[in-house]
Amino acid sequence: MSPLLSLLLIALLLTTPTSAWKKEEFRDCNQTPFCKRARTRTPHSIPSLSVSSLSLSDGAISARLIPSQPLESPSDSPPDPPRALILRLSVYTPGALRLEIDEDYSDPSAPSYRRFRVPDVLLPDIDDRHKLYLPRVSSDSPGVTSFYLPFGFEAVVHHDPFQIQVRRASNKEPVLSFNSHGLFDFEQLRTNKSDGEEWEERFRSHTDTRPRGPQSISFDVSFHGADFVYGIPEHASTSLSLRPTRGPGIDFSEPYRLFNLDVFEYLHESPFGLYGSIPFMLSHGPKSSSGFFWLNAAEMQIDVLAPGWDDPANPSSNRIDTLWMAEAGVVDAFFFVGPETKNVLGQYLSLTGTPAMPQHFAVGYHQCRWNYRDEEDVDTVDAGFDSHDIPYDVLWLDIEHTDGKRYFTWDKTLFPDPVGMQKRLAAKGRHMVTIVDPHMKRDDSYWLHKEATEKGYYVKDASGRDFDGWCWPGSSSYPDMLNPEIREWWSEKFSFENYKGSTPSLYTWNDMNEPSVFNGPEVTMPRDAVHYGDVEHRELHNAYGYYFHMASSEGLVKRGERKDRPFVLSRAFFAGTQRYGAIWTGDNSADWDHLKASVPMIITLGLTGMTFSGADVGGFFGNPEPELLVRWYQLGAFYPFFRGHAHLDTKRREPWLFGERNTALIREAVHVRYSLLPYFYTLFREASTSGLPIMRPLWLEFPQDKETFNNGEAFMVGPALLVQGVYQAGEKSVSVYLPGTESWYYLRNGAAYQGGVSHKMEVFEDSIPTFQKAGTIVPRKDRFRRSSTQMVNDPYTLVIALNSSKSAEGELYLDDGKSYEYEEGAFMHRHFIFSDNKLVSTNKGRINVGKKKFSSECLIERVILLGLSANAKKAVIEPGNVEVDIELGPLSLRAGSSPVALTIRKPNVHIADDWTIRIL
Amino acid sequence: METNLRFSLLIALLCLIAIPSLASIPSRDSLGISPQDVSYYKAGVIKCKDGSKKFSRDQLNDEFCDCPDGTDEPGTSACPEGKFYCQNLGHAPLVIFSSRVNDGICDCCDGSDEYDGKVNCSNTCWEAGKVARDKLKKKIATYQEGVVIRNKEIEKAKLAIAKEEEELSKLKNEEISLRDLVSKLKEQKERIEKAEKEEKLKKELEEKRLKEEAEKQAAKEKESIEASLQVEPKDAKEKAPEDATEGGENGKKAEVEDEGASHDEHEILSRESSAEKFAKMTGNQNEEINSEHAEEEIDKDDSGHAEEEIDNHKSAKKPEQVSDHSSDSDAADVHSEAQQHESASTAGLSKEELGRLVASRWTGEKSAEKDENPKDESLKESADDVAEPAEEEGNYESYISDMDDDRYKYKEEESENEYNGDSDEEYADDHADTAESYKSDEEYKNDHSEEISTTGGLSWIDKIQQTVQRVFQSFNFFKTPVDLSESSRVKKEYDDLSSKLSKIQSRIHHLREKLKRDFGKDKEFYSFHDQCFENKQNKYVYKVCPFKKATQNEGHSSTQLGQWDKFEESYRVMAFSNGDRCWNGPDRSMKVRLRCGLKNELTDVDEPSRCEYVAILSTPAMCVEEKLEELKQKLVDMSSSQPASHDEL
Repeated sequence: MSPLLSLLLIALLLTTPTSAWKKEEFRDCNQTPFCKRARTRTPHSIPSLSVSSLSLSDGAISARLIPSQPLESPSDSPPDPPRALILRLSVYTPGALRLEIDEDYSDPSAPSYRRFRVPDVLLPDIDDRHKLYLPRVSSDSPGVTSFYLPFGFEAVVHHDPFQIQVRRASNKEPVLSFNSHGLFDFEQLRTNKSDGEEWEERFRSHTDTRPRGPQSISFDVSFHGADFVYGIPEHASTSLSLRPTRGPGIDFSEPYRLFNLDVFEYLHESPFGLYGSIPFMLSHGPKSSSGFFWLNAAEMQIDVLAPGWDDPANPSSNRIDTLWMAEAGVVDAFFFVGPETKNVLGQYLSLTGTPAMPQHFAVGYHQCRWNYRDEEDVDTVDAGFDSHDIPYDVLWLDIEHTDGKRYFTWDKTLFPDPVGMQKRLAAKGRHMVTIVDPHMKRDDSYWLHKEATEKGYYVKDASGRDFDGWCWPGSSSYPDMLNPEIREWWSEKFSFENYKGSTPSLYTWNDMNEPSVFNGPEVTMPRDAVHYGDVEHRELHNAYGYYFHMASSEGLVKRGERKDRPFVLSRAFFAGTQRYGAIWTGDNSADWDHLKASVPMIITLGLTGMTFSGADVGGFFGNPEPELLVRWYQLGAFYPFFRGHAHLDTKRREPWLFGERNTALIREAVHVRYSLLPYFYTLFREASTSGLPIMRPLWLEFPQDKETFNNGEAFMVGPALLVQGVYQAGEKSVSVYLPGTESWYYLRNGAAYQGGVSHKMEVFEDSIPTFQKAGTIVPRKDRFRRSSTQMVNDPYTLVIALNSSKSAEGELYLDDGKSYEYEEGAFMHRHFIFSDNKLVSTNKGRINVGKKKFSSECLIERVILLGLSANAKKAVIEPGNVEVDIELGPLSLRAGSSPVALTIRKPNVHIADDWTIRIL
Repeated sequence: METNLRFSLLIALLCLIAIPSLASIPSRDSLGISPQDVSYYKAGVIKCKDGSKKFSRDQLNDEFCDCPDGTDEPGTSACPEGKFYCQNLGHAPLVIFSSRVNDGICDCCDGSDEYDGKVNCSNTCWEAGKVARDKLKKKIATYQEGVVIRNKEIEKAKLAIAKEEEELSKLKNEEISLRDLVSKLKEQKERIEKAEKEEKLKKELEEKRLKEEAEKQAAKEKESIEASLQVEPKDAKEKAPEDATEGGENGKKAEVEDEGASHDEHEILSRESSAEKFAKMTGNQNEEINSEHAEEEIDKDDSGHAEEEIDNHKSAKKPEQVSDHSSDSDAADVHSEAQQHESASTAGLSKEELGRLVASRWTGEKSAEKDENPKDESLKESADDVAEPAEEEGNYESYISDMDDDRYKYKEEESENEYNGDSDEEYADDHADTAESYKSDEEYKNDHSEEISTTGGLSWIDKIQQTVQRVFQSFNFFKTPVDLSESSRVKKEYDDLSSKLSKIQSRIHHLREKLKRDFGKDKEFYSFHDQCFENKQNKYVYKVCPFKKATQNEGHSSTQLGQWDKFEESYRVMAFSNGDRCWNGPDRSMKVRLRCGLKNELTDVDEPSRCEYVAILSTPAMCVEEKLEELKQKLVDMSSSQPASHDEL
């Protein structure tokens, strides 16, 4: 290139606004041999397998899968003759069929190397706790074996060609089927290396030595009775359901890719893989839901096939076919029978674990920026929240706080007194989070690097040396988190002795754990890097960040002597991450489309177990106009994880920097969150027990209402609140569909709106449309403090929205907000029921569940009654027969709000007690 | 019951602290109420301040929010919008958000915001108050002195402005006369030129005729001698008109320039030579890179965290980076040619280079910031060149020299012409007047002292008029051949006067622009016009020139942080905007907050947000009398509320 031309190009570059996603840097399906191979196959085009030697042992089924027909011409045959595969089927409560297919390692021609099975994702005790002992199998006809599944389902194995179906036992209606299109393909391990692209692979400047040759697996799964499928995060999309990726009318779409990547300026609408992967898909139709989970951490590509994909003349209806392809690993898959979505979630989480109960402070608002530069900056921002009366709970420090991106250290010039700084925050009940990434600076004077090198704790490259990649600190190595011993070692680093300058109010942020490797293929680790147990990186890639998150979380648990719940935010995630902490949707952008995409993204995460998640409020890249920022706060206040964050190059974005009006609007949005903290915390409890998400798709609450099935713009927070985002600048009105037959109360003015229809709602700058479902009770705290810490003794407000039969119910969970004593009974779970003109509070928690107790002195200062006729004037409290006033009051205590709802004034009953308030 | 408990606790607390002056214990009725509001709450039925409803005395501070604006709960946390007043005897009273009441954190120095017994706040008002009073006293002293300085400055400014206004009106008159003279001279000159031309023509004809004659009479030697005698003066005469033409053109050019369109001409020149410039630029590429490296070295030396910084910013700095950038897919997205190139070139990168390249996407701005000067600048400029090669010939050379030289330096010694010639490119056309105003008044006066000085009986313009008159009179158009000495005198006179005119016009322009400036309500910022304020922070020197621009200088390179925009927040802030572009960020800008101080002093330069700078300038101009009175009153208030038991130590 001539110097002149290069100059021209530089010039062009610098005048062009920063462009987004670099498509050519990432592989598409055609550039990914296993995906290309699998995707070009037509149904039943490959030699089929048949089931033989099926037997029942130990309550589970095992069998061999062998080729149905002998192989044809020898010239077409692979270098190694095919071996039989081992098939296992087992059943778990509360409703899962497990399918395992692996090599037969007892075959003498099998290589000594074993395929990778992802460890430590399934709960260790699932076999003890959930495995059902199958007493027998039956055979309706020859070549067909069936057996019992819970909830009135059964599994059917067709022997030749091999196929599995889950169906209703009563009417034999299929629910899920495996290999019904004959696309199951299992590339067996080979010892002879052949030529061609199947072995060594090149992508851009990178070569994957692929010493073990092709070993991919693909198969088809069909969801019957399904209108839509959902799940398999993480992808950015404004659509809640998964759009078809192949079939009639779909020309250029890629399959959904699950491959954890650090994507610079990702698009808001793309099937390409982002930071995390959960290979779990749910289907939903008006009659039922079902789910499918493939425990496999290698790169995965999933096609959602449009009706008619196999036969355009004859499109199937009432069924969604999917094609699953993975580069390596085994088949270890779970079919969840449902029949309701809540059941599917419970079935999935009974295996991968329910979400952890977070620290109470973590449910508040988090203030982050890359970077708060120094202690003075931290103090100034902290003081800014105080002087503008905006509550917040956590201040975050990004990479620049460290001594040269050496984690667990501080930049001594900028942060000479980290302990003092944390104490100043802690004195106001606030917490701090610092970043700890997995890339260790290769610097011999860095103690952590020295230790990891000496102990041989780093991931190795293909040649066996410590893998050396480029990340923030420059040349870096990555601890091998697959190894439990290394995770143990890593977790020790969080102790107060090891992490100098840390205090008990300091928590953790794991970023870049996909892992991000700037000079690696697709900005990640080469697939031929080698982990503990001779596992190739390709086999566990999607779980690397998970193990890292796990070790960090365990570090905080240990630091607190198992008395303090950890808080670790991670960017990468995998199935099971919900047990270790929160995640966020990574480096989004400050534009309206990303605001809009955040809702389907977070709902999808919630549907796949990741209930504690959020998107960067304001957008990470770029500068949001004030209106967008305000709308983002109004929406973000309902994200399970509520954090404002911004890129290094952006303008300062603290809430008070956009004029008085916008400051007030943001304050109001944050106040909405803080007033709902009791409700949110109760929802977190529900998530941690039943796995129900906090942010829910409407159809989770209204499973029969087809209108809601693909609504990605509105969502439910728990069972009671419906929130409709505003996704455009200058929006004057939005159409809100309110599902169900009961009415909804608009929380801006208490007006009732009819359910089952769409309403055109005028949009105001001060809020986004939020409704409370008739028949629910929401506990709130309407006093605002610096942080949630100071709210602990504040009184409650109950907001009761009566349904058509003038009744409602709700609950409130509380505990100490930080320890594990709730596991031993130290919590309070109240149940409120309103009916027959009286409100009754009873204990919902099991009595004598443990030896520890929790008590609260909090009162209820106000009960707001929506939907009660306006003539009530008095109420009487029992026990005690105390009379209290009922008057008209506002829905929220904001200047200018008008009295719209009957309010029981100062009942002052204890939240901990049983009582009845009777309306006279 | 509950309330009783609360108050007995409060009493206990107060007894514990034992402040005799707090004999009047606040009751529920007065809790959190400011003295001005006491009477408001006297009534039996009280209105919410926002008029929304009424409440009874029982509902005052009863821990239940009746007024959404908080009127009924000044002393509790029940209303989110409420305010709590603490008396803070011994210190200044404080109004805090209701959210601070009984939240377990002591906010009022008298501890009155925490009365529920959950925490014990000791009364620190006297100690804190003493510190505050001492600080306030110092501040008052500064203001007192500052007010005097400020008043003097204002007087000076008013005189200076009056003088300048006077000068301006005089100059305007002079301009009119001078323009008249110049146009007369021009006319005269043109007539002379015409006459000369005619004469020349005549001469040529004559010459021709003579030549023919000479040929005819070739044989006659006597005549041939005569002919040769006539040729000699003709040569001399022939030369003269050419000079005159040149002079005329110069004169015209000066006029054009005076009307502020000089750039057109430069642009034309530059268009002609853009090819040549490109050649130079590409030839000099290596030089650029070297100087980047030099900068990197400086970084290393100056920074306490040299290694990390380099690590962070390495990405865009390496020499290879030039080609990296050229092949980065930023361009690829819009440029398919570049896209092809990128894969080829990233393939050629070492692992480390690739790592740096990818890292620089997130930190690009950061690395760019380090080397934007000169690199970013140079690239920007070359980009402009590519788009429209319309800059003057000297541009690139001046750019190169700028790198070694003080590029944006306030060029105090340079004359206007030099200034324009050297650095035009830094100031786009619309900033031409800014450039002009860079010349301080003193310089102008020096340059023009002889002309402007009005010593002697006649004003200089009168003298000139006389001179011109003489020139006109002495020149005889009817005399042929044209008197050479007279003709050149007219031309010289014309040249002198038009140059003088252009100087006057430029001065007028300068004064007009200056007087149009907003120097504050009392013209207190007048003296800022010709001053710059500097502050050194590590390796950077920040320079703020009010009404002009703000720069960040590092060694010989300079980054413009903003051009003068305006005063903001009623003269409390000076805003500079549209500075040099930031990679992936906004154009740089700077806000200088003004504060009362005895000297003009720039401090606390900071970049709280990428490419948005702030600084504080202490100046007597901010020491206003009203504020002084306010502070004095505050001190009186603070001192009067001191408890009897405490004497000032």
